[in-house]
Amino acid sequence: MSVVLANATQGAVSAEPAIPATAAAALAVGLAALGAGYAERGIGSAAVGATAEDGDMFGRGLILTVLPETLVILALVVVFLTL
Amino acid sequence: MNTLTEQNQGASNYEYVIARIRSRQASLFDDDDYRKLVRMGTAEIARFMEETEYESEMNALGSRYSGVDLVEYALNRNLAKHFDDLLEWCDGRLYDLVARYLRKFDAWNVKTILRGLYSGADREEIEDDLIRAGEFSDRELEQLLAAEEIAEVVDVLSNTMFEEELTAALEDYEDTGTLVALENAADRAFYETLLAGLPTNVESDSATGLYLEFLRGEVDFRNLRNALRIARSGADIDPSEYFIDGGRLFDAEEMNQLVGSLDQLVEHIRESTYGEDLDDALDDLADADALIEFEHALDAALLEYADRLSNRYPLSVCPVLSYILAKEREVDNIRAIARGREAGLEPDAIEQELVIL
Repeated sequence: MSVVLANATQGAVSAEPAIPATAAAALAVGLAALGAGYAERGIGSAAVGATAEDGDMFGRGLILTVLPETLVILALVVVFLTL
Repeated sequence: MNTLTEQNQGASNYEYVIARIRSRQASLFDDDDYRKLVRMGTAEIARFMEETEYESEMNALGSRYSGVDLVEYALNRNLAKHFDDLLEWCDGRLYDLVARYLRKFDAWNVKTILRGLYSGADREEIEDDLIRAGEFSDRELEQLLAAEEIAEVVDVLSNTMFEEELTAALEDYEDTGTLVALENAADRAFYETLLAGLPTNVESDSATGLYLEFLRGEVDFRNLRNALRIARSGADIDPSEYFIDGGRLFDAEEMNQLVGSLDQLVEHIRESTYGEDLDDALDDLADADALIEFEHALDAALLEYADRLSNRYPLSVCPVLSYILAKEREVDNIRAIARGREAGLEPDAIEQELVIL
């Protein structure tokens, strides 16, 4: 039993990390996109409400809605760092 | 009509609703508008309103009414439009919380129809006096309007929140031939559903908790008004008949004792949680002759409380509440101005009647 465990830890140390760097970067982008999507959900519905009341709000609402998109763009930087 | 649970499923859409009501709240009349309005004649008020929010209602009703009646009907219709919108937008828990309060217009409509039938008014007159802001749909109101006697109205209202109370009061009506019991029953039905089935485990400092506190305050203030009126008029009425359960200010027994003496009643309020907010108003009450100023003070205190809440909890039911109250106040104010000008009151006298923050 202890031999197996020792082998396993030795193997893990010497082998590749469980998540390769590029996969981790991809994960980071994915999570950031998830966060951005959640943020946009609230802002978007508020923007639609404001636009419904006053059509001039469309432009401003659009800008505010896509602001959290910067999160994803920043996360993309991580991808370039790992490449 | 039994939408009590129908729309309560799913998540609330606070962001959408609040963005819309904030925009509408911004277009309410401000101090300057009121100052202009109190100096206008009735025809000028009507013309002024045609250039604002109320344009479409004024145009729609303009051919049938004129003067103050036109203003009044346009106000009611506009109020109904906005509050109906609110119910349409809200989802989930938010709908439940908002509908609780707006059902007061259902109670109003039921009372209007009962009174109309009782006084023998024709259908059209009754229809014009309805405020279609509550939960009843047009079809349901149509059924109520089609009823030809009071028992029929009560029958149509079975399966609604009014069923139990109204059926009980119908007997009383048939014995005495007066509407008081039925009107009372409609109000009681509203106040009972107002607090029924509310979540009990909300934190008292959360937005929902504070809203519930407001609803309880509403019940308290209603009890308070009734108590004051009974105490002041000295009428021989059993206060417990008018007592509404659920408030924090007093229970039925206390109210029975307190209506005996105005001084004791005022003292009791002063020591309660509302004492601080109403301190000045209570001083006025002690030496004023009329209750009306105290009632205005109650309204202003509620409005201020709601405004404070709406800024503290921007994504909750509180801004919606604040908007509903502000809109109601605006309609009341404009109506007071129009009626006051018609009666030839001085601008200063009218300004006293307004509730402005």
